[in-house]
Amino acid sequence: MEILRLDHIEKHFGDVRAIQDLTLTVTAHSVFGFIGKNGAGKTTTMKMIMGFLPPSSGEIYVCGEKVNYGDTKTNRHIGYLPDVPEFYGYMFPEQYLELCGEIAGQKPTQIKKKVTQLLKLVGLKGVRRKIEGFSRGMKQRLGIAQALLNQPKLLICDEPTSALDPIGRKEILEILSKVSEQTTILFSTHILSDVERICDRIGILDQGKLIVQGNLAEIRSTYRQDTILIELADQNCPASFAAKLRSLPFVSEVVMKENTITIHLTDITKKAGKILELLAREQIPVIKYEVLEPSLENVFLEMIK
Amino acid sequence: MNGLLAFTKKEFREHIYNYKALILLAVFFVFGMISPLLAKMMPEIFSHMSIEGLTITITEPTYIEAYSQFFKNITQMGIIVILLIFSGILSRELTRGTLIIVLAKGLSRHAVILAKYFVALTLWTISYSLAAIINFGYTFYLFGQFYAPNLLFSLFCLWLFGVFILAVVMMTSTLTSGNYAGLLLTAAILGILLTINIFPTIKKFNPVSLASNNIALITNTKSVSELLITIWITLALSSFCLLISLIVFRRKKL
Repeated sequence: MEILRLDHIEKHFGDVRAIQDLTLTVTAHSVFGFIGKNGAGKTTTMKMIMGFLPPSSGEIYVCGEKVNYGDTKTNRHIGYLPDVPEFYGYMFPEQYLELCGEIAGQKPTQIKKKVTQLLKLVGLKGVRRKIEGFSRGMKQRLGIAQALLNQPKLLICDEPTSALDPIGRKEILEILSKVSEQTTILFSTHILSDVERICDRIGILDQGKLIVQGNLAEIRSTYRQDTILIELADQNCPASFAAKLRSLPFVSEVVMKENTITIHLTDITKKAGKILELLAREQIPVIKYEVLEPSLENVFLEMIK
Repeated sequence: MNGLLAFTKKEFREHIYNYKALILLAVFFVFGMISPLLAKMMPEIFSHMSIEGLTITITEPTYIEAYSQFFKNITQMGIIVILLIFSGILSRELTRGTLIIVLAKGLSRHAVILAKYFVALTLWTISYSLAAIINFGYTFYLFGQFYAPNLLFSLFCLWLFGVFILAVVMMTSTLTSGNYAGLLLTAAILGILLTINIFPTIKKFNPVSLASNNIALITNTKSVSELLITIWITLALSSFCLLISLIVFRRKKL
């Protein structure tokens, strides 16, 4: 079932085409990683989904309902965590969540129960401090709590971990991981290791264009660049050996740095043995021979080249 | 409707927490107290001023002087306080980004404008009423005069002028971004209205007349009927400003 659909979305800021013909679908019960460099158009896209910005052309549907700019009706299906969530600092977290619950039209008894549950989930239960005294990580956690208050079908998180320290990032990812059991998540970031930890589907946005979307494992396998890392015992690799490597038809690139050689292959499954044979034939002493796992970072860097 | 009520409650709470409501009440309380007192003490103050070769003779003050002081204080200092307190009523939240989450929760943009205007209007009404009641009581205490012709109508005119000012503040806060641009635009609009008031032919169509004829009304030099058209125009202009705020905010990029 489709939770979110963007149909040929264009967004222009003057002469700048911030988003170009963006077509994207997010299916129910998935964690969709929306990846892109800073300025790629991730936040702009999210603001258009929320009806905060008008697309120049194209249409957006949330749970089958069309998003109209300036209208907030479709937002009842969404929980939204902006990149820098801003709260009313004079309130206590409970008061803020109660306000959000009342705005969302929930009953007072339901709000009380839900607020207690969510504060426990995000680790803010029993915090007797006004929001103005919160750290960045605490604000992000409160942001997640408010986003989940109306039991959204779609949770949109705009770079929730970007400005956090490693502990804060870990905490947020753990919360999102827990939440993903109940709701669909659209999660924008430029931190690829975060995506690898919790996302099952991804879309890569580059200069306003969606260059790939699909299942994370499939994309990794489709766009994998097989790589072998060799650490030599000698500081200098014989130039003749490097030349022989480059001449092999299945080698696409050879990068040499001090005693390390990184070899990119077109197909690792059948040809890795040939590299070992060559090393033995040339009698080159080796400390380490490693077949590198294709990472999302490699895929991403390859895609936006 | 739930959202409107919740956001209105939040607005009241915010004005209490950041002391704006308290400041407003305190200032208007002082206006109510000080106006009759100043009027009563004016001859005494002047009698202590000895300027060589100059004799200042001041007639015995009456309740009219007390009301004159009151209307002068409210139309000058009072309006400035209102502008300072409520300017940036919307733009401040837009700059900080605090509206994003509540709008994402499904609060309608119209509810934001209506709640903010309603709360500003309520605070103005309460503080102005407080000042008027205190002024009335204290004037009676000091001057023994109970009745002034058209007093309620005169007070209503000034209240309505405040209603109009708040609508202008709401509109300028929606049209501009940043905290001071709205204040400057409001000041510019008021400047234009004050300039227009110089021309006698169009004076009666100008909302400023509601704040400049208060004494004339209680001294019977101006009749109620002469200001009826101004009242209707002020109501229409206030509604127009609110409508502009609703339309502009509906289309505002966040």
